[in-house]
Amino acid sequence: MDFLSDTVVLSRMQFALTAIFHMLWPVLTTGMGIYLVIVEGLWLKTRNKDYYYHARFWSKFYVLNFGIGVASGIPMEFQFGTNWAPLSEAIGNFFGSVIGFEASWAFMLEAAFLGIMVFGWERVNPVIHYIATILVAFGANLSTFWILSANSWLQTPAGVELVDGVFVVKDYFKAIFNPFMLNSFLHMFFATLETSLFVIGGISAWYILNKRHPEFFAKSFKIILIAVIAVAPLQLYIGHLSGEQVYHYQPTKLAAMEAQWETTPAGQPADWSLLAIPDNKAERNSWEITVPNALGYILEFKKELSEPVQGLKEWKPEDRPRLVGLIYYAFRIMIAIGFYFAGLMLITVLQWLRGKLSAENIAQQKWLMMGWILSAPLGYIAVEAGWTVRCVGRQPWTVYGQIRTVDAVSNLPPGDVLGTLIAFATVYTFLFFAALYFGSRIIRKGPNFDLPIPGVEEQPALDTTPGEFQPDERPVEAQQ
Amino acid sequence: METLDYLLPQVWFGILALFLFLYVMLDGFDLGVGILSLTSSTEERRSILMTSLSNIWDANETWLVLMGGSLFGAFPLAYSTILTALHIPIFIMIFGFIFRGVAFEFREQSRRKFFWNIAFGAGSFLAALGQGFALGGVLEGIQVDAAGHFIGASWDWLNWRTILVALTLIQGYVLIGSTYLIWKTEGELQQTHYRTAKLAAITTLIGAILITIATPIFYESARTRLFSQPLVYLFALIPLLGVILIGLLLRSLDKKSDRMPFIWTILLFLLTFIGLALVVFPYIIPPTIPIYQAAADPSSMVVMIIFVGALIPVMLFYNIYQYVVFRGKVTAGSYGE
Repeated sequence: MDFLSDTVVLSRMQFALTAIFHMLWPVLTTGMGIYLVIVEGLWLKTRNKDYYYHARFWSKFYVLNFGIGVASGIPMEFQFGTNWAPLSEAIGNFFGSVIGFEASWAFMLEAAFLGIMVFGWERVNPVIHYIATILVAFGANLSTFWILSANSWLQTPAGVELVDGVFVVKDYFKAIFNPFMLNSFLHMFFATLETSLFVIGGISAWYILNKRHPEFFAKSFKIILIAVIAVAPLQLYIGHLSGEQVYHYQPTKLAAMEAQWETTPAGQPADWSLLAIPDNKAERNSWEITVPNALGYILEFKKELSEPVQGLKEWKPEDRPRLVGLIYYAFRIMIAIGFYFAGLMLITVLQWLRGKLSAENIAQQKWLMMGWILSAPLGYIAVEAGWTVRCVGRQPWTVYGQIRTVDAVSNLPPGDVLGTLIAFATVYTFLFFAALYFGSRIIRKGPNFDLPIPGVEEQPALDTTPGEFQPDERPVEAQQ
Repeated sequence: METLDYLLPQVWFGILALFLFLYVMLDGFDLGVGILSLTSSTEERRSILMTSLSNIWDANETWLVLMGGSLFGAFPLAYSTILTALHIPIFIMIFGFIFRGVAFEFREQSRRKFFWNIAFGAGSFLAALGQGFALGGVLEGIQVDAAGHFIGASWDWLNWRTILVALTLIQGYVLIGSTYLIWKTEGELQQTHYRTAKLAAITTLIGAILITIATPIFYESARTRLFSQPLVYLFALIPLLGVILIGLLLRSLDKKSDRMPFIWTILLFLLTFIGLALVVFPYIIPPTIPIYQAAADPSSMVVMIIFVGALIPVMLFYNIYQYVVFRGKVTAGSYGE
C-alpha cells in the first residue's frame, strides 16, 4: 500500500476519478442538445405536437445530466491549481487562457440560455425559445471544442516556446489548432453525439418493447436511426484517422495500444495482436492471438508499413507507459463498441427496408429492440475507454515529451490528497446511483402529454401558408 | 513595452475584480437563499425559494468558473499558488457546490425531499464557508518563496480572524439572499425576509466593524497601505459610506420597500469589494507577490483581452436578458412542469 503515501499516485487517481465521473454527464448533454434542436425544429415546422412532447420529455434528461455535469465540472477547473500547481504555472499562458475562452464563450452561453430552454416555454415565444435551444446546443459543443483544443495541446504541444520552465505562446493559431486538435475534436464531437443517439434510441426501444406509447417513441427511434446511419460509419473513419495521428506523433502510445514490444522496420508487414497478456517485467506478451500482417492494413490500408512501428523496448522503462495492459484493452473495448454500433445500425436499416419497423411490426422486433437497449450504456464505456487510452497512454508525460507527470504535481501532504480522494469517491459513487435512480424514474414515469402547448391560441394568426378552399358548410338558410 | 508590462496586469486585475464582484453579488444571493432555506418551515416555501433560483443558479456559478479560468490564464502563478495554499477551503467550497448543484434536480424528482433539502441548504452553507475561509486566507497572506511558490502548511489559513471573515461573509450572503427574496416574493414569505434581512444587516455590520478594526492591527502590510498619504482619505471614506448605506438599507426595510433593500445591499457589497481590492492591490498573492510578477506573458494577456474581455458586454447582455424573461414575483414552486 505504498501508493497511500505517494502524492503523485494519489493526485493522479483523484484526477482520473473526477475526470471519469465528470465525463459521464456532458457526454449526454452535448449530444442530446443537437437532438433537441432537431425535434423542436420539427415541431415548429410541422406543428405536430408529438415533436413538442419529445422536446419536453428528453430535456428532462438534459437537465438532470446538466446539474451533475456542472457540479462535477467545477472541481476539474480548480484541481489544476490545487493538485497540479507546477504544471499550471508552466502551461498557464496557453492552457489557462483556453480555459478562460471555454468559460466565456461556451459555459456562459449554455448556462444563460438553459434557463429559457427549460423554464421559458410559457415566457418567450416559440421562435425565441428555439433560438435558446440552439444556443444551448451550440454552447455545449463549443466547450467540447475548447477543452479538446486544450487537451490536444498537452498531447502535441505546438506554437509555444519553453522559457525558464514556462511555455510562452508564440503563435496562438498553431497552439489552438495543434496537430491533434481537429481530429480529436471531431472524434469527441461524434462520440458525444453517438452516445446520446444510442441512449435516446435505447430508451425509445425500451418503450416500444414494453408497448408504452409505441407510436410516439417510434418517431424518436426513426430520427435516431437516420442520424446513426451517418454518424456510426463516420465515427469509425475519424477514429481511424486519430489512430494514424498517434502512429505519427506518439509512438510510445501506439506501442502500448498494440502491445508491440519489438520494433517493426518500415517496408515490412507486421502482425496485429487481437488479444494478449502483456508482461511488463519480461517486456513481452506472455500469451497472444495475432492476425498475421494485419497491422499495416489497420494503420495504412496496405500490407507494408511506410513508417516503422517502434516497439516499447525502444524506450527505457521510465520513458514509456507502464499500464500497457490497461491501454491495450481499453483501446480494444472502444473499437469493439464502435463496430457494435455500426453493425446494429446496419441490421436495423435492413429490417427497416424489409418493412419490419412499421407501426404494427416494430414491437415484434424483440431481439433488435434488446440490441438497442443494450447499446444505451455502451457509448459511455467507449468514451471512457478512449480517454483512458488517450491519457494513460500519454504517460509518463503530462505535456508529451516536455513535462513529466511526476514533475507536474503540487507538493501536498499525501494525507490531504487521500482525504479528498476518499471524499470524491464516496460522494461520486452516491451521486452515480442517485442519478441512475432518478433517471430510471423519469423513464418509468414517461412523457407528460398534459403540458400546455405554447402559442397554440395564436396559431391561426401565425399560419401564413395559403389555406385550402373550405366550403361554407353552414345550412343554406344561414347563408342568406 | 515597459508601460505595457504594467498596464496589462492592471487591466487584468480589473477584469478579474469585475468577474469576482459579479460572482459574489450573484452567487452571493444564490447561496444566501440556500442558507435561508434551512429555516423554511414548509415544503411550499422551500419550493418557492428554489424556483426563484432554478433558472439562474448555474449562470451565477459560471462567473466563478470564468473568474477561475481567467485567473489561470492571466496570472498562472497566482492561480497555482493560491489554490495550492488554500486547497482545503477550496475543496470545502467544491463539495458544497456539488451537493447544492445536484439538489435542484434531485429534489424535484424525489418523493422524500428531506435529504435533498439538507443537501441544498447545507451545501450552500459549506460553499459560503469555504469561500469565506479562502478570502480570509488571502487577506491573511500566503507564505511563498522568492519564486512565488507556496511553502506554508495545509492549515495556515485557519485562525480566529479567518473564522471572523468567513462568518461575516456568510452573514453578507444571508443579507443579500434575504433582500433578493424580498424582491422576488410576496406576502408572508416576503415579510419573513424583511426580518431576516434586518437581522443579517446588523450581524454583517458587526462583523464588518470587527474586520475593519482587526485589519490594520494584525496586518502590517495593510497598515502601511491604509495610513499612507493620500490613500488614507479614501480609506476613511469607505467606512463612512458604509455606515450611510447601512442606514439607507435599514430605512428601506422599515418602509417595506420592494426593490431598494436589494439595491442598497448590492452597493454595500460593491463598497466592501472596492475596499478589499484597494487593500490587496497591487499584490495578487499577498503580502509579497505583486500582479506584475505573477502575470502571464504579455501575448497571452492581449489575446485574452480580445477573446474574453470583448465578450464581457455580450455575456452581461444575455444574463440581463435572462432576468428580464423571468422578471416578476415567484408565487408558486413550479419547477419545469
